[in-house]
Amino acid sequence: MLPLRLLLRDWRGGELALIASALILAVTCVTAIAHFTDRLTRAMEQQSLTFLAAERVLRSSKPVDSDWLEEANRRGLEQGQIIQFSSMVSANDQFQFVSVKAVDKGYPLVGQLEIRTTVDGPTEVAPQGPPPGEAWVESRLLPLMEIQLGDNLALGDTQLAVTALLEREPDRGTSLFDMGARVFANTADLPAAGVIQPGSRVRYRYLFAGDDQALKEYFDWLKPQLTEHQRVLNLSEGQPRVASALDRAESFLFLAASLAVLLASVAVGLAARRYGLRHGAYVAVMKSLGAGRNKILGIYLGQLAALTLIATAIGLTLGTFIQAQAVNLMQGFFPVQPPATSWSPLLIGFATGLACALGFALPPLFRLARTDPMQTLRHDWSNPDKREWLGLVLGPSAMLLLVWWLSGNLLMTLALFVGMMLLVAGSALVNRLLVRGKLASLGGAWRIALGSLQRRAAFNTLLIAAFGTGLLAMLALVFARTALIDEWHMQLPEKAPNHFLLNIAPHDVPAMENMLAQGQVSSTEFYPMVRGRLVAINGTSIKEKKNRPGGVRRELNLSYTNTLAPDNRILEGEWWDKASEGVSVEVELAAQLELSLGDQLRFSIGGLEMEAPVASFRSLDWNSMRPNFYMLFAPGTIDDLPATYITSFYLPPEDKLLVNDLVRAFPSVSVIELDKIIQRIRDTINQVSFAIESVMALMLIAGVLVLIAGVRASIAERLQEAAIIRTLGGRRRLLLKSLIVEFGLLGFAAGLLAAIGAEATLAVLSQWVFKLPLVLHPALWLTGPLTGAALVGTAGTLACYSSVSQPPLKVLRELA
Amino acid sequence: MSAILTAENLFHQVSTSEGPLTLLNNISLEVARGESLAVTGASGSGKSTLLGLLAGLDRPSAGKIWLAGDEINAMDEEQRAAVRARCVGFVFQTFQLLPGLTALENVMLPSELRGERGAAKRAEDFLARVGLEPRLRHYPRQLSGGEQQRVAIARAFASFSSEDAILFADEPTGSLDAGNGAKIIDLLFKLNGESNTTLILVTHEQRLAQRCTSHLHMAAGAVESYAPLSDGDSLSEVSA
Repeated sequence: MLPLRLLLRDWRGGELALIASALILAVTCVTAIAHFTDRLTRAMEQQSLTFLAAERVLRSSKPVDSDWLEEANRRGLEQGQIIQFSSMVSANDQFQFVSVKAVDKGYPLVGQLEIRTTVDGPTEVAPQGPPPGEAWVESRLLPLMEIQLGDNLALGDTQLAVTALLEREPDRGTSLFDMGARVFANTADLPAAGVIQPGSRVRYRYLFAGDDQALKEYFDWLKPQLTEHQRVLNLSEGQPRVASALDRAESFLFLAASLAVLLASVAVGLAARRYGLRHGAYVAVMKSLGAGRNKILGIYLGQLAALTLIATAIGLTLGTFIQAQAVNLMQGFFPVQPPATSWSPLLIGFATGLACALGFALPPLFRLARTDPMQTLRHDWSNPDKREWLGLVLGPSAMLLLVWWLSGNLLMTLALFVGMMLLVAGSALVNRLLVRGKLASLGGAWRIALGSLQRRAAFNTLLIAAFGTGLLAMLALVFARTALIDEWHMQLPEKAPNHFLLNIAPHDVPAMENMLAQGQVSSTEFYPMVRGRLVAINGTSIKEKKNRPGGVRRELNLSYTNTLAPDNRILEGEWWDKASEGVSVEVELAAQLELSLGDQLRFSIGGLEMEAPVASFRSLDWNSMRPNFYMLFAPGTIDDLPATYITSFYLPPEDKLLVNDLVRAFPSVSVIELDKIIQRIRDTINQVSFAIESVMALMLIAGVLVLIAGVRASIAERLQEAAIIRTLGGRRRLLLKSLIVEFGLLGFAAGLLAAIGAEATLAVLSQWVFKLPLVLHPALWLTGPLTGAALVGTAGTLACYSSVSQPPLKVLRELA
Repeated sequence: MSAILTAENLFHQVSTSEGPLTLLNNISLEVARGESLAVTGASGSGKSTLLGLLAGLDRPSAGKIWLAGDEINAMDEEQRAAVRARCVGFVFQTFQLLPGLTALENVMLPSELRGERGAAKRAEDFLARVGLEPRLRHYPRQLSGGEQQRVAIARAFASFSSEDAILFADEPTGSLDAGNGAKIIDLLFKLNGESNTTLILVTHEQRLAQRCTSHLHMAAGAVESYAPLSDGDSLSEVSA
């Protein structure tokens, strides 16, 4: 029990406070972030699954074999069913083409339906779809059909009572099936309605939920039996945009947690180093009193184990508490109730405490055990150690493993460490340049500051690296966050078109343009659309091509225009201002088809065949919510063929009834309403952005605390020097200025290195992890050094302020 | 009279950036049980190095040392630590008290390191013998220099667990004023006499050296003069 007794005595003496507080800080930060990330990720996943209304969906164009559903039942999976089709409904002699979604009692397995049972009433959550005999409709259908809630609606041969208005359905899709207002019905009413006939275009969706393993096994069993008309959807297939946003958010949140670990471990390392140095004298005395190396090692390992356990327990408790408070405070921001905490963040916190202690506190202790007892006679406590490299290897290795484990991403981990290594190497170089420079000629305070930097040259390298790590973490985080969120918002700008109009007859175009203008709605260009199939490339039938992309297996929408849309860019070849004939092909499709400029493409359009050379390759942004085409012809090439027009526009929610006017005025036009799905995506992105901003705030706090811990590691020496200078007549003002200069310079150097490291880290991250385009960040080069100088200058000066403010005699006596 | 400490032809060299540096050159001595040996010499003459080697804190480059019957030059660090724990006590010029421990805890430490029971009682006894009974719970920073050295002396005497006890003192009055230094020396010799321990003392002070039974003077790492206790001398007469 000697280690514990010594631990308690040491603690009372204040020696262990710094190392313990650094450990507590590390564990608290990581536990809080891990809890937060864990709950948030699970909340987001839960919310995202609502896009499918299930955990997995089997989509089919025909009813599936009932054995399949029985098998799912046998495996204990929950099930639901959706039958979706377009149909005409009627009431009061009004007919309307609507999108019918018939659901059974299992729907929805994930997410909620929201309805209103009176026009002005509150929104209610419906656990299931409408019961048999009832229909729930979108509110805009009421004026279109001239009906009230409670009236009947005829769907085929059956009458359904309209009992509720549909406010929100979890799995509102973007498909062309969603033409017209939504009518929710019960699958039990479909046989009587008789609207589904052989040849009807119907989509069946079978919903499944349950235990992950059971789901996996079931679909492993099912997948080989699927035909080409059937597909299994999970989150990433169902909503690729949301899945990729989530993936990136998860990567980012784990990156933040990893950086918190790094920051905290730097604090532990600095504190342990200081502890080791101060204890060198004690160990020498203990050795002279007859304690052998093993005894010393046993004492200090026992102390470290006890300290780690106690600090980790405190950190875990604090982290859990802070996270719970944070989640409570931010309850309103979560669109879904955050799930309860799990054990894994506690495990992560514990592993962090252990890794920090083992990686960073252990080497100084091993070094302590090797203390030469002759030092007690030589009065020399410098304790040089040839095996110092062990500490330099062990700590970063422990962190590497921990970060790898936390992020589950080796690339991201390596990216982080590339930046770190650059930083450590650069620290030595910058430190050398700093002390060899001619800054001392600037005057008294500069001379004292430079002298101080020179005297601690080796330790300053460590300090610059430590400060640099903190700053690197912050800079990389700020810039990675900005890049991520900007990109997401750019993908879905505030007023992205949220309605598409299809099948516009050429003669209706001027009237429709006029109507949109009157409603003060600005639409994208009206594009002619001709349905056609690509049949051959340079005379070779497309059917002979292996791995034909999906885009060319069906009919394509072909168009022609003089104006290149803002989200389109010609990458190779010429646009129609320089070329007069041919077709411009979307670049990814062109790559899949292995096309070259000048290749002859043959199209079959309404039974006629025509050829056109490839004039250019064109990139475009499918996320822009504008009409976009794989094939754009030169004006004059397909103008004579029968075409309909397509356009898209943004309609604010308050002008929603304009859709009714459009449908009434142009009955043949199809309206695709994307506003609800866009709102869902935007909600998710806002939530992810919020999560990142919250983690950022936690990280910044951790960063600042580590900087203070770093400064405190060398405070004793600094206090002593300042006291001596004051004793010799140095003025407070001079000392204060020299402190600001010294820490400002250290911070500037650390910030400069951090900027280099962060730029390299960001480059690696954006290239391979976030898959964003590579960009330089000039702001980083300015922000890094200035933030470093300001932050370290302030923290260092404040931490050392007591040396200037306290009477020198008191400082010298306390430090004696 | 049997020798408790014998050194034969001690050489000690260290490597420096300018090549090997000889710190001790062919030193032989013999110290009898209960004897007090003063080692004197100018700064850098090798006194402290010799003290460290004799106490088993380091190993000589060549030569042999027998300490309480053990040939410590042939032992590894762990074995030498065990010998120190059994029969070596130290008093340092700069006291070397652990600042986080109270006076009592500092004196308890050697017994605790040996895993002995009753460490507190033993420490209290020694602190009472050096006159610090009222200061048991004080930290080193709350004690004067003289008081700190008295705690260090109590700790040194608490270090022994066998009859073969040797106290090594490295300029024990070096950090004290003349008055306090004299008191400390009186205390050291008094306790040494009471406990029948052997005392090896490194000092600059001739007055202090003269109180010892034998005297070794060093210059440039070698023995300049050595006046060992002759067989006929009475220890009690010399140390009184």
